[in-house]
Amino acid sequence: MSSEEGFDFPSDAWTEAFKDAVNGNERYREAGKPWIHGAVAMVVSADPALGLEHDMGMILDVDQGVCRGTTLVKGMDAVAETPFVIVAPYARWRQVIEGELDPIKGMMEGKLKLTQGNLPIMIRYVESSRELVTSAAHVPTRFRG
Amino acid sequence: MEPSIVLAPGASESGLCSMLATLIRQTLDEDAIKKKVVGRMIGRIAIVAPDLDQSLTLLFEGGRVELYAGIVGIPDITVRANAEWIMKMSLIETTPRLHLPDPRGKVAREVFGASRAGEIEVHASPASVPLLLRFTHLMSVV
Repeated sequence: MSSEEGFDFPSDAWTEAFKDAVNGNERYREAGKPWIHGAVAMVVSADPALGLEHDMGMILDVDQGVCRGTTLVKGMDAVAETPFVIVAPYARWRQVIEGELDPIKGMMEGKLKLTQGNLPIMIRYVESSRELVTSAAHVPTRFRG
Repeated sequence: MEPSIVLAPGASESGLCSMLATLIRQTLDEDAIKKKVVGRMIGRIAIVAPDLDQSLTLLFEGGRVELYAGIVGIPDITVRANAEWIMKMSLIETTPRLHLPDPRGKVAREVFGASRAGEIEVHASPASVPLLLRFTHLMSVV
């Protein structure tokens, strides 16, 4: 799949492209500098109607404004050791990637849920968190459904 | 006595209620001083977020905090602001000893500016000022 056609979301290729998007996001590099609290996982809830039989998690190994690596994993057990886990249905992540939903506002509305991790820290670094997630908007994406 | 933070029936369906309950719980877990502060808080605080089309009421009963979706009872304090400002209010810098909003802080200045511009409305009687200041301290994550 070439990036011009878009990467399937979620997939290993999309997750790898997300890493590049995060590292290419100048605003994240700046806002994320103080972040030393560990990896963040974005989990897409299982949705058999879309061919997602399992929850799919993209783990972002972020530190001080740099994404050192990404991993696509299957199931919530695989993110059990990840310090911060944000879970949402496919449609919500699609809205985030398409720039229609601000991730922080989405969390306040309950559309995205922080199921693991320290919320005060997430809020303390709210711009870092926002820029990290919205970096996904820069990934050419092909959606299911 | 350990503080207890509970969601009223139906409040778990409100994203804002769930998020604030988690925020207060985790904040108290980390801060013994804030546990004492919440023990001295008595009254109702309503938060209205027009852009989220959500509102909630926090009922403080000296160590017990119950969160309700919507406005329940007559609030002592009402805060009306969009989501972005509600979030920023948790980032207001406070003075080290008294934990009052620090007017020299960057976020504090932004929030005061938004209040003057009418983007944030706080309705409170003079008698409720101590509750408001304790609430500011409790919710501060900086």
